[in-house]
Order: sequence, then C-alpha cells, then structure tokens
Amino acid sequence: MAIHLSRRNFLKTASIAAASVPLSKVVAKAETGVTKAPLVPPGSFKDTNTVVGGVCEMCFWRCQLVGKVRDGRLVKIEGNPKSIDNGASICARGNAGVKLLYDPDRLKYPMKNVGKRGAPKWQRITWDEALDTCATQLKQVISKHGPEGLAIFPHGASASYPFHFFEHTVGTPNVSEASFFQCRGIRDMAYMATIEQPPGENVDMPNTKVIFLLGGHFGENVHVSHLKRYLKGLENGAKLIVVDPRFSASAAKADIWVPIRPGTDTAMLLAMMNYLIQNDKYAADFIDEYGEGFEEFAEGIKEWTLEKAAAECDIPAAQIKEVADLLAANMPNVSIHPGRHVSWNGNDFQRQRALACLTGVLGAFGVKGAFVPPIKPEGIKKVKWPHSDHDPDLLSDYSDNSYEFSPPGTPTDLIRDAAITGKPYAIKGCVIWGQNPIQTIPNQEKTIKMLEQMDFVMCTDVMPTDITMYADILLPECSYLERYDYIKTGTQWNFADKQQQYIAPRMPLVDPEFERKDGIWITNELAKRMGYGEFIPTKDQVEMVNTRLAGVGLSIDKIRAEDGIHIQPGEDPYGISEDMTVIFYNEDLEDAGYPPIPTYIAVERAPQGYMRLLYGRSPVHTFNRTQNNSWLMAAMDSTPVWLNDKVASTLGFKEGDTVSMVNQDGVKSRTTATVKVTPGIREDAVYIYHGFGSMNPELTTGYNKGIDDTSLITKLAIDPETGCHGMRNNFVKLVKVS
Amino acid sequence: MHSTESESSEQEPEFSTEATLLSEIYGFLALTMRYPSSSFLDGQFLDAYEALLQSLDWKEEYTNIQEWRAQTNDIINDLQIEYTRLFINTAQGKTIPPYASVYRDGDRSIQGKTTEKIKDFYRSCGYEVTSSTEPPDHIQHELEFLAALAGENRQEEETLFLHSLFRPWFIRFSKHSIHEARHPFYRVSIQLIDFFTKEEQ
Repeated sequence: MAIHLSRRNFLKTASIAAASVPLSKVVAKAETGVTKAPLVPPGSFKDTNTVVGGVCEMCFWRCQLVGKVRDGRLVKIEGNPKSIDNGASICARGNAGVKLLYDPDRLKYPMKNVGKRGAPKWQRITWDEALDTCATQLKQVISKHGPEGLAIFPHGASASYPFHFFEHTVGTPNVSEASFFQCRGIRDMAYMATIEQPPGENVDMPNTKVIFLLGGHFGENVHVSHLKRYLKGLENGAKLIVVDPRFSASAAKADIWVPIRPGTDTAMLLAMMNYLIQNDKYAADFIDEYGEGFEEFAEGIKEWTLEKAAAECDIPAAQIKEVADLLAANMPNVSIHPGRHVSWNGNDFQRQRALACLTGVLGAFGVKGAFVPPIKPEGIKKVKWPHSDHDPDLLSDYSDNSYEFSPPGTPTDLIRDAAITGKPYAIKGCVIWGQNPIQTIPNQEKTIKMLEQMDFVMCTDVMPTDITMYADILLPECSYLERYDYIKTGTQWNFADKQQQYIAPRMPLVDPEFERKDGIWITNELAKRMGYGEFIPTKDQVEMVNTRLAGVGLSIDKIRAEDGIHIQPGEDPYGISEDMTVIFYNEDLEDAGYPPIPTYIAVERAPQGYMRLLYGRSPVHTFNRTQNNSWLMAAMDSTPVWLNDKVASTLGFKEGDTVSMVNQDGVKSRTTATVKVTPGIREDAVYIYHGFGSMNPELTTGYNKGIDDTSLITKLAIDPETGCHGMRNNFVKLVKVS
Repeated sequence: MHSTESESSEQEPEFSTEATLLSEIYGFLALTMRYPSSSFLDGQFLDAYEALLQSLDWKEEYTNIQEWRAQTNDIINDLQIEYTRLFINTAQGKTIPPYASVYRDGDRSIQGKTTEKIKDFYRSCGYEVTSSTEPPDHIQHELEFLAALAGENRQEEETLFLHSLFRPWFIRFSKHSIHEARHPFYRVSIQLIDFFTKEEQ
C-alpha cells in the first residue's frame, strides 16, 4: 500500500482520472440512505417522552411497564405507576430489557444456514426467500409424512399464534412446550386431578398465618408481585416453612428449614397428612362438605408414620411433626404453595397431588391466607385458528404408557424418540419458536440427533441461542418491547386492598429495527405461502388485540389513553364455590392404572462418590434467555457451585476453586464454574443455577460462561401420569481445574 | 480482463473539483459497506473498485481483488456470506458490528448515546437517514453523510465529523476488521475507508 500518499495529495494527482469515471457511474446509480432534511440547530432540546403500555417478558410474570423514550430510542424502562400488580417496581431483569433490545448480537435479518446444523454459516436473505423456503420445505414434509411429520417447540406469548396454526389448522399434535413438559405442566394436571383447576401460584400469602414452600426459593426466584405478596405476608407476621435441601434465600428467612433428602418430599407430605388425620388435627367439616374419597385416602396413607418418613427423608420425625402442628394450629389460614417448576424426579405428579390434598386436609381453600384464586376480568375474546378436519395420529396411542394426564401437547420424549427411530412414524420437519430445546430438554445428545435427522428446521427467536445453531432458516422476531400481543389481566396484588381488576395489553414502546417482524405477520405470511391463507384469523397484531379487547368494550387506543392499563372494580375473591371438590381418591387415575391416592415412589440415591445435581433460579437471570445481557452478566456472569463444607473438606475443594463436572454417564461439562463452600447444602447434593454455559459462540457476552446444567442431565426420568421430564435424577462429581 | 480502458474511451465525466471527487469516493466506499446486492454490486462496480486501487497504486490489494474475481463463481453469494459473518451474526470475538455506538458507549449497545449524537450531527447539517433498516451510525450511513457534506464542499463540518464522531470508533472497528476480515473485498475496503478518512498529517 502506498502509504506515503495522503488523501489530499491523491485527489490532486492525475492518476485518479482513470478511476473517477467508473466511480461516478457506480455511485450515481445507487440510492443513498442519507437525504436532505430540515436543519435542526445543534443543541436543540429533545424531550424524553413516557410511552405507556409495556408488558415485560424478561420472564413470564409480565409486569406492566412504561418506557422513557428520547428521539425514538428507549433509554430506560420503569414499572407503570398505574399498575396495581407490580406497581412502579421492576426487577433487575426488567430494567435490563434495554440491553436485550439493543444487543448487537440480536437477530436482525432472516438468515439461511449455508454451513451445517450445529456449525452454522449464515447468509442474510430476504423475507420473501426465507418464507418461501420455509413454506416449501414444511409443505414437502406434510405431503410426505402428513401433518404429524412436524414437531413444534414453542415458548412465550408470541409463540401461541404460530403454534396454534400448526396444531389446529395444519393438524400436528406433536407440540412440546417447555413450560408444560419441563416445568409446570405436572403441577397443573395434578391439581386438575384433585381440585379440578390449575392452581397458578394462587395462595393468599399477604394475609396468611403460615407459608409452606416445597423447593420455592423466593428472592432468588423473583417475580415482582409474587414477591410482594410473599414479603407482605412475612411483614404481617406469617410463619415460614421451607422444605429444601439447600439453605436458599427463602430458607434464610424461614422459621423452620427442613433440609430434606432430594426426591423424598412426597413421603414427608404423606406422613404430615397421616399424622394430622390420626390426631384429629384436620379440617373435618371442610372435608365432609367438599372432600371425595377421604376415607380411602386416609386408610391408604396410614403406613406413613412420622418415623418412616423421617428415615426416608433423612430429617427428624420431630421436625415433620413440628411442621404439621404449625400448619394445623393455623389452619385454614395457611398458604400451601403449589410451586411452579416442579419437573424434578419423575415422581412429581404424586407430590403435586399430595400438596393439593394437604391443602384439602387443612381446609385451606377460599379463606384468608389460603388458596384463593383471583377473580380476573372476563369477556376478553379469543382469536383462534380453526381446527382442520384432520384426525391427528397421536404418539401416545402407540406408547406403552398413554400418559392420560399429560398437559396439552405431546410428551417431549414421544416426539423425540419417534423422530430418532422413525417409529411409529417419521418426524422430519421442526419449527422452534422462542424455545431453546437444547437447554430445556434433558439429554442434549438425543435432542441433537432428533434435529440432525430432520429434513428441515426453522427457528424464530430474538437472540441467537443454542438451538438457533441448528436452524436451516432463522427468523428474527420483534422483542416484547416492539410488538403487540399478550393481554395481561389480573387483580390488585393484595386481596386486603380495595378489590380491583386490570387489563393491560402489551404495546410496543419503540418501533422494531432492522428487519425484525412480529409473530402474527410471520405466521400469516407463512400460512399464505403454505396454502392456508383462507383460514387466517386476523390480519395483523393490532387487529388481533383490538378484536380481543372489543369483547370488554375496550381498544388499544382507549387503553393507551388510560396510561396503558384499564382498571375496573373487582370482586371479593374469598369464598368457596358450591361445586368445589377436593378429590382425595381419584377414580379416573385408578381406571387409567395410576395410583388413585398420592403415593410415594422412591428415586435412586446418589451413587458412592457422586452428588445429586440440583439447579434453580438466579435472581438476575431468566435461565438461558438473559445470558448475553451485558448488565445482567455484569451482575452475575457465572453460577457458583454450592458444595457442602464437610464434603469440600473431605474431597479437598476450597472456596473459589474452578471445577468442571462429570456425571454418572461419564458426560463432562463443556465449561467450568467456581466452588462456593457452604454448610447450606446437604452432603448428597450440589447446586447450580439453571441456564448458564451457552454453547453458541454468537453470544459475545454469554458464550461458555458458567456450567450448563442441562448438558449433565443425560439420564431421563419421565413422570408416568403426565409424560413430563424429571430433571433432578442425575449425579455428578466435581473435577478440579484450578 | 478488468481493464478500465473501455470506460475511459466513453464520454468524459464532469468532475471539476476535489470535493466532487471526494464525495464520489465516500459514496463508493459507503456502497462497499452496504449489504451486497446485484442492484449495485456488479462487474461495473468491481471494475471501478479495481480502477481506484490502480489509481492509488495499491498493487497487492489490486492483485488480491483480481484473483478473487477470477476464482469466484458467484460474487454476490461470496460477499453476502462474508458480510453476514463479519457484520451481522458470527462467533464470539469475531463479530465486528459496524455501528459507532458499539465501540463508543462502553457496554456494547446498538442505539446508544453516540447514535443519538450522530443523528443530531446529521440534522444540524440538514440531513437525516431515511428508508434504511440500519441505525444512523452504521458505517454505510456515516460514509453517505460524508459524501453529502463533501458534495457541498462543507470541509469544516466534514473535518469535525471525521474527527469527533467517525475516526474515534472507526479506528477500533478497523483494528478488529483487519484480524477478522479474511475476504480481500472487506479487508481492502476497510483499508480504503481508513485512507480516505484519516486526518492529514
């Protein structure tokens, strides 16, 4: 390079003459993005406006937000002061939404993978090319294998519309939502089988006398209005019982911490109930009126003495008694929390049934401090894809276990196994929308095998994740800050306050950038190209939300004028409906070949030299979804490995050691983390946060930070009633790296 | 093969001032930083590119571009894949986002304070970015803006923009690019941008 020549000199040289002609021609024919505009003097004042209507989705709790927007740029997110749910408060993740919005690693344009699945090489393409390719490929799969040849892995508010298109209109039953099959589906189905409704987290904690948590680690698990309810309860003097192998943030506030042996919770619950029944410390009147099959139930759990459970759970019998007595002394005003992420050990339906029955034994329904569902606004319409005439060929019909209490969709492993083996039929097309199945579904090797055998894999997301590495076509979606979709409804967070209801539709705080599109647009364009145009139920996201709101006489404009949240008078949530039933002995379960009363199924204990791998939530992350967020990673960029102090001393580990992990199948963690030595965890377990250690190098900040717990969950456990995974039956050894 | 002789025998262009020429060069360089499309990036474009390198007497770079053109089957496809890899989505530490704010605002952010400043600068000169899917501090738009200023011979503002809002981030951007840009087209283009935006010694 002729570095001696300066720019000015060069422009004066004669040699440029030869280049000038072609240059001017080329430049003249291309458009420029910079155009003349009215002159704005430097230093002109630009106001920061408050934009209303935000509904968070940094997690699924969906706090109501406002955005501080200057010149089209979102500079800050705050809680919507009008909110009667989260109020003006938002959590660290809610604040850090700005960094998701403007993350340079975010997906910006549709791309096709011109490399290999798992080792992608991307090429930006037009939306037309992307959608045409997806439509052609998916249609090919359907014509060869039928709609069942498609597997759908959705997650999040924006995924409902596309997955209902594939499930209802295209006709594949092979949909697996992580929120059901790897999270709360078991809870919902167990409560359905006991009290005929999914429980949510509907316990009246602010007004309770005792809060009973099984594994719930509030404070590390941060959902703003839920946490407000919990903290108000404690402030009001509620006693707190925490059953957890680990001294969690909640255990630290507990009156009684029960460091139970992992996997044995059902034994403890059965012993508590048996003790209460045997000692006439139960809500006999309530059960007379609302119970069903109580005698068979009481008889069936008789074997569970305090001593028997104590031996199984590795806790003192006196402590089980103490817990039971504390609850009985305060019944029915006690909050038996149903939990949320409950897919632990493959015996979880029984535990969740036991929790629901315990609530019944204590009569803790419909009264202050008990299980009390909010009465939410009614009348919001649904916008639905029509069901096709196709009679779906269900994988559960071919299975030894028909999983009759499965949550909606098809159990994940039925889909994955069918895809890998081709039996009972082939599954050759995959649509992944907002879910990262590499980090949601245990046994990554099988998930990758499933993906590798597909004819076509389409992913839609806001960020690169582990799974996007396996896409053939990758579509960039608007984030929750740039779209309309979900309508959040609820009541004031504390039932002791004036009864109110709210309706808060998500509205964009800023316009989408690059070529990101909302899920309604993407799905409709895909549907048209696949030949389902006539079934499209709504033309766009605005029409969809307005149609739904019309059911309650509202519209986006009206609610925007009401500062983003419509508030109306509420109803007293207390009381028990006449048709309330607590099904202690469930004949439908019996007919299907499952235990009709809650039954303890023992799980394998840690083999010699290994510890059970437990995982949970970080207060500043939502699993893998926030792994590239620069603010949140600045706060916490790895997961400490909780290790019992005695074990550490025996094995020669000390605080701050860098370790990797190897599990019982010899699978090693790809990455490392740092040891936290503590008496606050049992000797037979280690604990890390879920969601770290992403393997996608496209995440500049999050790549390979901390250990990916899912990579070590290779041994599968399937809950027999629901087909959901149990993910805490794997065992690890720590390997010192430095 | 990529001779410019046939071009020079055509009608003589009208360029009278250095400013016009500089404007065209900025405009041309802006195109090198735009996502490749056959609508502008064709044989004629690459002929002009080579002519520019020849004028500069950048022999090695000229040869590199010629060699690539001789061996490639699909110019646009090559460049699209490389552009996506370099500037849109690629592996950790290898992405070189072409936005000023990512380098200037401390915590790797698109639409940072710098973006706002750059937008304000455009407006204070009577310009704005329209009909683009990219933020205003994308290198393509900054070069287009410089082309617009040069076209009006607004040297003072051009110098101020280069000094205060372009070079400070471009220096960091180009350092990364030299490591990562394997394709001669982007490596050389970034060197050209460096040459034409460098402050006079």
